[in-house]
Amino acid sequence: MQTAEPMRIALITSAFFSLSCAQALLAKEIDFESDIQPIFLEHCYDCHGPKKQKSGLRLDLRTSAFRGGEEGTVIVAGKSGESALIAHVSAAPEDEKRMPPREHSKDGLTGDQIKALTKWIDSGASWPDEFAGQDERLSHWAWQPVTEKETLLPENFTANPVDFFVRRKLEQAGLTMSPEADRRTLIRRLSFDLHGLPPTPKEVESFVNDPDPLAYEKLVDRLLESPHYGERFARHWLDIAHYADTHGFERDKRRDSAWRYRDYVISVFNQDKPYDQFLREQIAGDVLSPDDSEAVVATGFLAAGPWDFVGQVETKSPLLRRSARALDLDDMATQVMTATMAMTVNCARCHDHKLDPISQEEYYQLWSVFAGVKREERVISEAALKEYESQKETLMEERDRLDFEIGRREGKGFDLADIVGGGNGLGTGKFRRGIDVRSAAVQEREFGRLGNVKVNQFKPSKFAFIDGVVIPDGQDGKAEIPVSSTGMTVTGLPSTSGEAWDMIRNGPVASQHSNELSGIDFTKGGHSLIGLHANAGITFDLEAIRKASGIEEMRFMTLAGYFGKEGAMQADVFVLLDGKKVVELRGLKRADGAEAVDLFLPASARFLTLLSLDGGNGIGHDQVGFGDARLKPERPARLTPKEQALLTQLRSKKSSMEEKIAELGDPPRVYAVVPEEELPEIRLLRRGDTESPIGAPLPPGAFAMLEALDPNLGSLETGQGERRVALANWITDSENPLTSRVLVNRLWHWLFGQGIVNTPSDFGLGGDRPSHPELLDWLAGEFAKREWSIKSMQRLLLTSETYRQDSRFSGESSGVAVDAGNRLLWRQNPSRIEAEAIRDAVLTVSGKLNRKRGGPGFETFDYKEAYAPIYTYETADEPALWRRSIYRYLVRTTPDRFMTTLDCPDPANLTPTRMTTTTALQSLALYNNEFMLLQARYFADRVEKEVGSDPEKQVTRCFALAFGREPSPEEVAVAREFLKAEGLFLFCRSLFNANEFVYVD
Amino acid sequence: MSTRAESNSAGLGRRDFLATAGGGFGGMALSALLADSGLASGFNPRAGQASHFPAKAKRVIQIFCPGGWSQVDTFDYKPELAKRAGQPFDPDGSLQFFASKPGACLPSQWTFRQHGESGRWVSDLFPKLATCVDDMAFIYSMKSTTALHGPGCFMMNTGQSQPGFPSMGSWVTYGLGSESENLPAFVVLPDPRGLPPGGIINWGAGFLPAVHQATTLDANNAKQPIADLFPPKEITEATPENDEAGLSFLRKLNRIHREERSGNTELEARIAAYEMAARLQLSAPEVTELHGESEITKKLYDIDHPEIGPFGRQCLLARRLAERGVRFVQIYCGAENTTAREIRPNWDSHEDIVRDHGYWGAVLDTGASALLKDLKSRGMLEDTLVICTSEFGRQPAAQARKEGDTGGRDHNAGAFTTWLAGGGIKPGIGYGATDELGFQSVDKIVHSWELHATALELLGIDHERLTRYHNGLEQRLTGFEGSGVIRDLIG
Repeated sequence: MQTAEPMRIALITSAFFSLSCAQALLAKEIDFESDIQPIFLEHCYDCHGPKKQKSGLRLDLRTSAFRGGEEGTVIVAGKSGESALIAHVSAAPEDEKRMPPREHSKDGLTGDQIKALTKWIDSGASWPDEFAGQDERLSHWAWQPVTEKETLLPENFTANPVDFFVRRKLEQAGLTMSPEADRRTLIRRLSFDLHGLPPTPKEVESFVNDPDPLAYEKLVDRLLESPHYGERFARHWLDIAHYADTHGFERDKRRDSAWRYRDYVISVFNQDKPYDQFLREQIAGDVLSPDDSEAVVATGFLAAGPWDFVGQVETKSPLLRRSARALDLDDMATQVMTATMAMTVNCARCHDHKLDPISQEEYYQLWSVFAGVKREERVISEAALKEYESQKETLMEERDRLDFEIGRREGKGFDLADIVGGGNGLGTGKFRRGIDVRSAAVQEREFGRLGNVKVNQFKPSKFAFIDGVVIPDGQDGKAEIPVSSTGMTVTGLPSTSGEAWDMIRNGPVASQHSNELSGIDFTKGGHSLIGLHANAGITFDLEAIRKASGIEEMRFMTLAGYFGKEGAMQADVFVLLDGKKVVELRGLKRADGAEAVDLFLPASARFLTLLSLDGGNGIGHDQVGFGDARLKPERPARLTPKEQALLTQLRSKKSSMEEKIAELGDPPRVYAVVPEEELPEIRLLRRGDTESPIGAPLPPGAFAMLEALDPNLGSLETGQGERRVALANWITDSENPLTSRVLVNRLWHWLFGQGIVNTPSDFGLGGDRPSHPELLDWLAGEFAKREWSIKSMQRLLLTSETYRQDSRFSGESSGVAVDAGNRLLWRQNPSRIEAEAIRDAVLTVSGKLNRKRGGPGFETFDYKEAYAPIYTYETADEPALWRRSIYRYLVRTTPDRFMTTLDCPDPANLTPTRMTTTTALQSLALYNNEFMLLQARYFADRVEKEVGSDPEKQVTRCFALAFGREPSPEEVAVAREFLKAEGLFLFCRSLFNANEFVYVD
Repeated sequence: MSTRAESNSAGLGRRDFLATAGGGFGGMALSALLADSGLASGFNPRAGQASHFPAKAKRVIQIFCPGGWSQVDTFDYKPELAKRAGQPFDPDGSLQFFASKPGACLPSQWTFRQHGESGRWVSDLFPKLATCVDDMAFIYSMKSTTALHGPGCFMMNTGQSQPGFPSMGSWVTYGLGSESENLPAFVVLPDPRGLPPGGIINWGAGFLPAVHQATTLDANNAKQPIADLFPPKEITEATPENDEAGLSFLRKLNRIHREERSGNTELEARIAAYEMAARLQLSAPEVTELHGESEITKKLYDIDHPEIGPFGRQCLLARRLAERGVRFVQIYCGAENTTAREIRPNWDSHEDIVRDHGYWGAVLDTGASALLKDLKSRGMLEDTLVICTSEFGRQPAAQARKEGDTGGRDHNAGAFTTWLAGGGIKPGIGYGATDELGFQSVDKIVHSWELHATALELLGIDHERLTRYHNGLEQRLTGFEGSGVIRDLIG
């Protein structure tokens, strides 16, 4: 992250140095205390001591002195010749590396001083324990063990200890808590805090009127048990994991299976999985329980952040790959340590941490933990995949069989485009799937101009109905072009450029100019298209089709044409039957439109070949297409009533089968981590530069600053999986004081709008100090006692009087004068709800929220494949897009502008704390965005439907839905007048924009 | 109050509040509000602390040419490269570029000439810009830390090759607030073809308050130049006429709501934000309405030309925005995520330097020269800093597909040229140098850090004091590796 200034060890000259004294010292044995430390103290510590560590070097602590700085080791015991310290102090004064630098000391060290240092090093650089030095930073509160705070509570204390600790601080400041908020306020606050949704009017009324003295506790329990709870808290955790559904960077590709990790986090909160287990699974679930799909999916955590496809895969430069991989490892290591232990380890990438006792070496030892894995889509478990595949195969076989039965009876014929897409000709093929003209391999990806092209070589296909493919080049009519696996050839075709582009596709080819020709869009409304860029040829196996269908005589019908750009560009199209030219369309241009082909295929015909040739110019626009290419029975079958009934039955069976296949979804994969083929060696990188590794390979390690724990996580021989397990265990060790403190602080932060420590991901020396240190430790201790149960801790916080306080206050409150920032919690904090909660609240109030849970994210954009994919946002106006915001498909390079405007953070950043801003653009978004206006319309329709056209009833209902309360007489008066003049729609629109709608008391 | 306590959402700190309310749309309505809540005497959140010294530049217009432009075909004259034309560039085959092994030395595809009194060299790719050289300063010794487009664009915009850091425009407006009462402080004009490599986070605010992210201005949409400025016409129930009635009712609702919550100043800020939005509805369309511009001006920017016009229009808009007090305008000359295939959508000329640099050169030449001339004739060049850069340069060697092919050039993070104009720079100078072939910067190397530090200095900001705490560090635009302000560039 940051790199220090160029190497400069500055020593301060001492005006009082005595030569004779130094000479006397040389006569006897060198003693560290009397001979060496005084030199360091007087001349080095100013720049290499507790205050400054220029070039990362610190000489007042034995461990750091021997570790060295950015340059590497400076003291090699027994070898003064290899010790940089000696080289520096004995360099010539004009030499830049001379220490102390000239501006600090003109003459530098005397010869005798240098001799003393040299002799000390050569005699073993003995540095006695009593002078090893104490790193004062180690006494920082956060690294200290969690201490028992139970004893601070008064004897027989039965109330909520949270309130005890908060009151104690308030009393010291002469403040008191605010009164408890009313029930309407409480249920609205709880609903947004625990679900991110407003309460329904019914829920509000039943809570307000509940005579049970434990009504509040019951409500808390009910809300904690709802599945919406997990949807809310998962969003907080995903902020810390900077989760998104695309890679980010230049080629922002899709991660279509990443959502399984998102669903995992939701389910972790809902099942209240113990927090330590949650962490262990996210760091090493694939190693701890390789057969447990859930544990494997959990490692999506390590892969949640951005990843540079171009730098990691596409570039041919190894240097660029190394530097992209460095960013990648830094991202992973930083995410894990800030999320779990609020350690800003990333600051130690280029040199030792400037504030915290984290050495650069330790940082790279952390790399060594993760170096053995890379981000990749993977199966969630072999068993799950097998199960999925066998289910899918059974369903598909059955569907295909039904299809055939139906097709035969319908006599519609076979769609050749569908066959190209891997189908049976009756609709089972995949749209846009392609066949490689070079190899007949099946391809999903888009291609441009193809390399390794060999013309006039027939490649057999593994699809039953396709015989094979070829790249034709007529060579001025001379070439014998093979067009079947049985060796049939054709001659008399024109020369071509010999180039080939993209695939033969079920649908348009890559970047096809247009899908439309002669006014027909061949990708829509039951039409189909075989796209084949010149030069390409494909041969269908008529015999196989005949055998499967039982149809003897057939017709081949299609609309062939040039789908490239208008103008002079042209291509040649041929249709062959058993190697004989039966259709010739030379010089076909866009202006020619679609040419109808209708060809009789006798029962003896074996192969049908379609060819496109570029006429020799080979430009990228020669996009030929065969629209609605079908094989039809010459004589349509006549059905008996009985067969007609059977057909109906078959159709309904088929559609239910198709539903089942759709339900099955994509294969059970997840974007997570997989092992590298070889475990790479990690060395310390000087100034973070991948091209400057120094020292020996580093074994995996954690951090020495926590005294109770051993930072050693293994040796160089330790496998990648075991390294991560060791780190997971180190983080979740019961003696680790940070993990539990950090989590209880996050829980506090999520419910109170601010943490006890206000930098939830930085507990280091640069971070905030706890406002209630004793409370923090008591909570951390309690968390362990409650076996890391998050829900149990939240119940404790939610039932406190502190949480239940009113948040409203006037500018004159005494609390404002004493504690304007409310760190002491003399009131609850009001909060502007987050972008996601605003959107979800709008949908709830309009009655349109789709509560479907889990599964692939919904996409409010049009996706277009390109070198850098294009995501174009559209207004979400259908039920499938009215799901909760946690299920949005998150695009890194092109986030949803509406959400971003409302402070939804960029998933490039780790976001421990959401920012709340107030801007004019937010006002515009809420007031004018089409989504908002459509929802205001639905809101108005809903209210009209529910209470009719009486304005008074409408106002009451609108207030109940939007604010969870009745309007005051003043509000009724204002609202009625407005309603009368402007109508219900504008009224609803205004409520969505009201401060009360987006602020929770 | 420390900066870190301010980032919590509920207890918004003072500076954030002010930044929030004033950073984007300072204004009279707001000064009244602030006086009322006893928060500040002015609306500019950081005027006192950030203007560390007198500013030479009041605003910045930055032109970003994504894709990586070639220094040796544009501004960095390398006669030695011409002498070695066709000779192997890397005889022992040890180099591996981004996408290729180096081909032979490929001299500039355009003739270089000296121009102006300063005698600066410019190639014939830029005949119009060449007439402006006496107002420009060239940094020949630029370097990036990466030869990848995404990280490279992040680097030049944010000083970090990782995504998610605040862009220069965000930092500047964070530091100086707005000069305009009715327009956003930071406006971006992306290429009409699409987004640059890395997407919109190139002008994101990162960990700075969202008010500091750029507002996108759509030059092609005169009716709706800013998203959601007006209701879409499909929603017929919402009209300009009932707009005001709705806002006035909203104000009443908010006043009643506020009575019991007088301590919470955010509520008042949110009321004010709706007033500012209403002002923006008037001021934004006025900016994009070009009727008032003379025919001579329109011709200067060539705004009706089918290829050159769109960028010319962006440049003209930039001038209009600057004129109206917008602090930072960024214009993109090239895109990334587009399906356009005929030529490269930006300067990334791997396979045909003549075709792609030829196209983009003509585009930049007209727009950028028009902007400089126009600013100068209006007396605005003095206090408007214009920066034109790319994310990295290109190789002096050819990236040829096959033998004999002129081909293009591969990425080069080791050297590129950035030029500046106006805003207090020393005009007509060249700074730093590359080696004899233009392969690596060798003299007075400049990274984004020094360029940004110099720009901030011209704006009156001490780059070391413009910081914000994030993730364990007082972060800053200029990083910790740079060597600070380039004094030689300052006039």
